[in-house]
Amino acid sequence: MLFHARRALRKSAKAASKILPRKFAGSDVIFWLVILFLFMPLIVLFVYSFNASRSGEWKGFSLIWYQKLFTESPDLWKAFENSALIALTSALMATMLGTLAAVGTARYSFALKSYVATMSFIPMILPEIVVGVSLLVFFAGVGLKLGLISVWIAHTTFNIPFVYLLVSARLAESDPTIVEAAKDLGATEIQTLFKIILPMALPGIASAFLTAITLSLEDFVITFFVSGPGATTLPLYIYSMIRFGVSPVVNALSAVMVAGTVLLVYPLRNFLKVFAAR
Amino acid sequence: MKGSDVAVSNVSKSFGSFAALKDVSVSINKGEFYSLLGPSGCGKTTLLRLIAGFEDPDRGQITIDGADVLGLPPDKRHCNTVFQSYALFPHLSVFENVAFPLRIRKVPSRLIKELVFKHLELVQLEAHADKKPSQLSGGQKQRVAIARALINEPSVLLLDEPLSALDAKLRQHMLMELDAIHDKVGITFIYVTHDQQEALSVSDRIAVMNAGKVLQIGSPQQIYENPASEFVARFIGEANLFTGVVTRREGSLNLVDTDGFGPLLVDDETEVAVGDRIVATIRPEKIRISTERLEGPNINVLHGVVHEPVYSGFQTKYIIRADSGSLLTVFRQHANWSEGIPDIEWKDEVFLSFSARDMVIVERNPG
Amino acid sequence: MKRNYGFAYAAPQALWLTVFFAAPILIIIVYSFLKKGLYGGVEPQFSLEAYSALANPTLLAVAFRTLWVSVAATVLTILIALPCGYSIARARNQAVRLFLVIVPFWTNFLVRIYAWIAILGNEGFLNHALRFLGFRAEGYQFLYNQGAVILVLIYMYLPYAILPLFSTIDKFDFSLLEAARDLGASRMQSYVRVMLPNIKPGIFTAVLFTFIPIFGAYAVPLLIGGKDSYMLGNVIADQVTKTRNWPLASSISMTVTLITAILVFLFALRKPKEQKLVRDQEALSQSVSGGAA
Repeated sequence: MLFHARRALRKSAKAASKILPRKFAGSDVIFWLVILFLFMPLIVLFVYSFNASRSGEWKGFSLIWYQKLFTESPDLWKAFENSALIALTSALMATMLGTLAAVGTARYSFALKSYVATMSFIPMILPEIVVGVSLLVFFAGVGLKLGLISVWIAHTTFNIPFVYLLVSARLAESDPTIVEAAKDLGATEIQTLFKIILPMALPGIASAFLTAITLSLEDFVITFFVSGPGATTLPLYIYSMIRFGVSPVVNALSAVMVAGTVLLVYPLRNFLKVFAAR
Repeated sequence: MKGSDVAVSNVSKSFGSFAALKDVSVSINKGEFYSLLGPSGCGKTTLLRLIAGFEDPDRGQITIDGADVLGLPPDKRHCNTVFQSYALFPHLSVFENVAFPLRIRKVPSRLIKELVFKHLELVQLEAHADKKPSQLSGGQKQRVAIARALINEPSVLLLDEPLSALDAKLRQHMLMELDAIHDKVGITFIYVTHDQQEALSVSDRIAVMNAGKVLQIGSPQQIYENPASEFVARFIGEANLFTGVVTRREGSLNLVDTDGFGPLLVDDETEVAVGDRIVATIRPEKIRISTERLEGPNINVLHGVVHEPVYSGFQTKYIIRADSGSLLTVFRQHANWSEGIPDIEWKDEVFLSFSARDMVIVERNPG
Repeated sequence: MKRNYGFAYAAPQALWLTVFFAAPILIIIVYSFLKKGLYGGVEPQFSLEAYSALANPTLLAVAFRTLWVSVAATVLTILIALPCGYSIARARNQAVRLFLVIVPFWTNFLVRIYAWIAILGNEGFLNHALRFLGFRAEGYQFLYNQGAVILVLIYMYLPYAILPLFSTIDKFDFSLLEAARDLGASRMQSYVRVMLPNIKPGIFTAVLFTFIPIFGAYAVPLLIGGKDSYMLGNVIADQVTKTRNWPLASSISMTVTLITAILVFLFALRKPKEQKLVRDQEALSQSVSGGAA
């Protein structure tokens, strides 16, 4: 009897704790564990970047790797320069092409519309390695020497679908009667494009451009296949550092990049929010 | 009598710094159609959610049939809820929505079919069993929600503003249907609404709430004819309010020197003393409007000008500017007997007459 | 009748993608049916050699391992991502939580891989920590095995799964959970029978976003795994850069593409095609702009 009563008590206590309005539920515990999991490697890198020793053992605080990074790594900075150049130019090209196509497919129906839409979707769902290999084979076939140009073409190609998607999504949200009103008030197609459509889609275009820059800076696999002498990007350089003799300079570089990301993303994010809210 | 009685005693509930319920007590009888009525944010939905088990009170006690239900999760309480948004499961058909509670209880499927169709018949939806909720109209969704909530044969049905998403005509119709269902199943209904018309027309009893407190509990007639406070008088129907000081009292008859309307007679049992400051009220339909002066014993008469007539078919609502400049509302029904009486129009001079017995004292502050 | 400028707008992009995407893919389709050249490249001669070479037991073993690793990593990723997405969707500080998920996602891909080497390596953080706690001095080999590959793959693609799941769960009407509880379902039953069926599109999108890149993984198995964790992506790369057997690289690529395509197609079949595509694109654009914004 007593046993039953105790069990019932325990049961009702458990039941009570179950229906407490969400204060701190199991899913939150998992969420914070995941955040810990996601951040732990970055924190380890950050700490190690100040380690005086080469190995994983802590031998005291030192800025030596930062000094090496900023003063004794000319190849690394050359790679950074290449990455920045490719990122900006390929993002620019992809944004122009993708935005125009998004405007076209959002407003008109025409013979090749579904071809454009499909072609803008497939590259995103293909494994990167397939895209990389096919481009390598293609460049070899047409006799284009691998270098900055081939990397630029490859990056523009994989950026276009993302731009197209983001700008299309933005255009789909805007009211089509606004464009009709512009035309009704006498604007030409070009005027409508520059004075109405593009300004309305600007938040989408801006986020597409930034996304393209990120994807380009990030890409390793495709670049690995289509890059040639003199076109080493930062990810390729980090790869070779990891592959052929790890130097804690990578730690310092990673720490700088993580810090850079956070410092860049956070204000930008707020900026974009304000932008989108208008 | 089927159904359960529900007792809420001294319950308080806060969300952060917002006190949603302050020491609330209501006791609901078996099989009663009980309404919780009040403006949005008054705590009525919170009270319903406490009874359903979605929230726990900070203090106080809730019992169903005398048994403490605090700590029991919603699936262990014999009450079911009809949600304001219906909360139909979009991935399930009408049949499967209604069958859901039975499937959870692992009822044999032959029995499920029988019970589901019995309940779909109750809400006249047998023909729509295979449809998805997205294919139904608002009224039909409402019926599915009711059938689904009833299939577990709860002893208490909780209805959270069930008609607020429907248009006015349909709302009237569904209300009558709800009343019929209540008569048929005979269980306790606790009905949350902000619409006083709904509450008045179907409830056995009403608890009027505001700002986390219960202001008055009573039958629809008691609440309407004898509001216990200025808030209730204003919230239920329309009311003309007079503020003033009692200057004489004989039995239940008081002479009140009102602000803006001069001395008026108020016949009310409420204990007041000479010198008290009171608020009295009269319903607009209890005022006679006429171009001639109608006098009688214990009849108040005011003179004024039609400030704004609002015609609405079965009646006209007149807003009258009394000589003092203050405004009064009067309803005049367009019944047959009024034919031949000259129409009253904008800017006409009129007399308003109303009996002292129709005046109700709703507030008193000892002077 | 308004003038139709649609094609004029879309032509530059269509041209670009035709030349630099469709043509290269067509070329490897063609190459996969050609004979391998003596010194790399191809001979213009029809052959099914590259496809019959797929039946090679070592290659088959790699294929099955790739499938197994991808399925295991994807399933684990989704299982972890579901409660995370739910937690973010129900939290008051959604923006902060999303930001926390996105920051690591924005950190360079190789830096993240490298960080795991710094943790799991023989002279890495974990071994030093264990040594400090009195475990064996020579340390443990955490890297260069399948478990490490799956762990790091989960790490890499977790945000890809969390973001679309979050955006679907965020749109889910949580009062349905209350309704289910009210109707007698336990807490777990209300999640499984009411929430899961209603967030299926998000789960599918999350599966696509994690399975596809993991299935074609190259860098993670190369840097984290050992010989026993080689995946199809590594074989393709080797065939292209070392063995220079382009037809075989092409036929493996086609196989990978085909399996990916079947997966996408299966999911697309579930609903009218157009709608599904649009929904996927929406979810994708949301998670992408989540990544950017």
